[in-house]
Amino acid sequence: MKMANGYMEKFLYVDLSKRTVNEIPVPQWLMQRYIGGKGFGAKILYDLLYPGVEPLSPDNVLMFMTGPLTATAAPSMRACAVTKSPLTGTFLDSFFGGHFGPEIKYAGYDGIIITGKAESPVYLWIDDNKVEICPAGHLGGMDALEVNQAIKKELGDDSVKIVSIGPAGENLVKYALISCEYNRQAGRGGAGAVMGSKNLKGIALRGYHVVRVNDLDELKKGIKFAQNDLAASPDVQELAEYGTAPTVPFASENGLLPYKNYQDGQYEKCENLGNAGQSRYLWLKSAACMGCPIHCSKIGVVRTGKYAGTTTDIVEYESAAFFGSNLDISDIRAVAHLVKLCDCLGLDSMSAGAAVGFAMEACEKGIIDSPDNVKIDFGSVEAADYLVKAIAHRSDYLGNLLAEGVKRASERLSERSMEFAVHVKGLETPAWGPRGSTGMGLAFMTADRGGCHQRGLPLGYDIGDEKWKGEPVDPLSCEKKAEIVCYLQNYLAGTDTLVKCDFGGFGIQPATYARLLSAATGCNVEEDLFEEVGERIWNLTRLFNLREGIDYTQDRLPPRFVNEPLPSGPAKGHKISEEDMDYMRSDYYRVRGWSEKGEPGKNMLEKLHLNNENIFRLSK
Amino acid sequence: MRNITYFIKTNFDLCTGCSICQLVCSERRTGGYNPRYSLLQIKHTKEELVHEPVICQHCKNPYCLAVCPVNAIKKDKNTGAVTIDSDRCTGCGICMKYCYLGAIYWSQDGLKAVKCDLCGGDPVCVKECPTGALEFIMSGGEDENG
Repeated sequence: MKMANGYMEKFLYVDLSKRTVNEIPVPQWLMQRYIGGKGFGAKILYDLLYPGVEPLSPDNVLMFMTGPLTATAAPSMRACAVTKSPLTGTFLDSFFGGHFGPEIKYAGYDGIIITGKAESPVYLWIDDNKVEICPAGHLGGMDALEVNQAIKKELGDDSVKIVSIGPAGENLVKYALISCEYNRQAGRGGAGAVMGSKNLKGIALRGYHVVRVNDLDELKKGIKFAQNDLAASPDVQELAEYGTAPTVPFASENGLLPYKNYQDGQYEKCENLGNAGQSRYLWLKSAACMGCPIHCSKIGVVRTGKYAGTTTDIVEYESAAFFGSNLDISDIRAVAHLVKLCDCLGLDSMSAGAAVGFAMEACEKGIIDSPDNVKIDFGSVEAADYLVKAIAHRSDYLGNLLAEGVKRASERLSERSMEFAVHVKGLETPAWGPRGSTGMGLAFMTADRGGCHQRGLPLGYDIGDEKWKGEPVDPLSCEKKAEIVCYLQNYLAGTDTLVKCDFGGFGIQPATYARLLSAATGCNVEEDLFEEVGERIWNLTRLFNLREGIDYTQDRLPPRFVNEPLPSGPAKGHKISEEDMDYMRSDYYRVRGWSEKGEPGKNMLEKLHLNNENIFRLSK
Repeated sequence: MRNITYFIKTNFDLCTGCSICQLVCSERRTGGYNPRYSLLQIKHTKEELVHEPVICQHCKNPYCLAVCPVNAIKKDKNTGAVTIDSDRCTGCGICMKYCYLGAIYWSQDGLKAVKCDLCGGDPVCVKECPTGALEFIMSGGEDENG
């Protein structure tokens, strides 16, 4: 009998245009060179897409990828959706926890690859090896969680795991999300719009395969190490207790919290949005993704006020910031309502909150007019509620405009509005105004999917007490940032192949991940593997973006962070100037071994063996 | 004097729904992972506000034992553990039909009834639960008056 290796060794390939379903063996070389998750997605997307493919056309590919440790008891593992983003035109990977990812493997697959477009709305029903393309016309217009319930009812089994889109995905809102069971989303970059463009309303999974590893005893030892790593991390222990809610006051204190579309970095009512406000008004207990002991979720219910009765997960940091301080809304119950609305309608709450903030500022400046029935103003819950619905349904001029994201919206409005359209490469930046952390600025400038904090989070060095090569790091200087960001990007891309959760990664050590991976696959690997594979992936996604015409001129920050000094906080008066950006960008390309125009040269491709690789094809 | 029964108490208020209990239970049974092969379930209700673990309570008056036509189900005199003798089990399924909790399952080959046996006295699900949502409890025994 063949030795188990943590993989199911098969992809499920569905062509919705031809209505064909095939199983494709996962090539050995793909497992060896790209491990799983982000690695599989990056390589397959690069190989399958032709340059310039329209993201919302049938020719785009939508994938759900797992890693060799997904679905085992190795703590805090996830899965990812990979596609070409309709929001940015870049490579897009969007990670999600919960129970859907593991079920892909229980159904017998390492990933699901979807191409084409169904003639009319459908959902996929994957019951182990039996795959059906089911009509979904009756699910049209339902919100993402209603679809979840409706499909479970239709299939007569509550244990089925489902991903679904809401109206935003159907209406091709550029930042529509994929809802992955309750309270988990593949949020960023518009993977939900790609799903909508394929007329795919949902995917239902049920699997009876056993996921086996090469050396179970070794895996169990590795799990003990991982549990000890997690227990030893103060960051993880804080997440276990309060989730990401304490980050709201932390970010405010450090001048990093977006206030009124990043006009400032502090918010005097930040405690209302943090753990103090949330635990009082919302939380009942901790909840967790499959196999995760951290339980960063705090599920609860709004007890009082207009939104009483709303069941809500923790309003995690990004959502609390974008629908709270960013809009000058301090009532956490209202923020919970708005975020839940995004979840149900199927909008990325980060981009949606940023778009609403952009609209409020545009109204404030007289660039756009409020609709007749509602005044668009900072601080107005009613206005935010109105805009979220208008965006998801594209129901009026303003909703339709904002549904395109702040980059396109500002380009259509006026040059003046581009001054406060806060995005990198079209992706609305996260709730970490970078003027008080140049490292964060560089991370946004260079992240493969646009303005993102999860591809390298140098805050620990810039703001925390982590040292780089034994030396403290100045948050406002441009020195060392390229090295730090490159290291983080490589390591995170490497471990995003497993697929690890970022929060687990705060505690679990590189050597422990290597130990877990070795036990699962039977290949004895060392911890430096992750940086090596990560660098390969990072170069490959760069090649993808370059092929799409996204070049060095887009490795920059939006005008607000470049031209406007931060009004308050420890970094008051600071901005990241053109000179700062030029310096860090050049330094970054140097560390990466790229040309002055940010292109990986022949030497780099040879070093990473990207010049003579196998090509992944959708044939057996 | 009352009879001692050991059982696993479930605390919905502490359960995070992480399924680690199911993962380790399935691992013990199969040597790999899939919660569908574990001998306990977690019911997710009220938009996942509630995660309720459901596991054999090793009843003091087990219906499963009473209805088994071939006396394959026994209750241990010392521990109170209710277990199935798989050699005797004919796979008729009547025990599953009358277990109120739904805590009896088919074996992987679909031929026999299987259920929680408390791992012989040291249940892995309790040991690995990160929050105390599962507790190993001894009930009964000597009361205060002896």
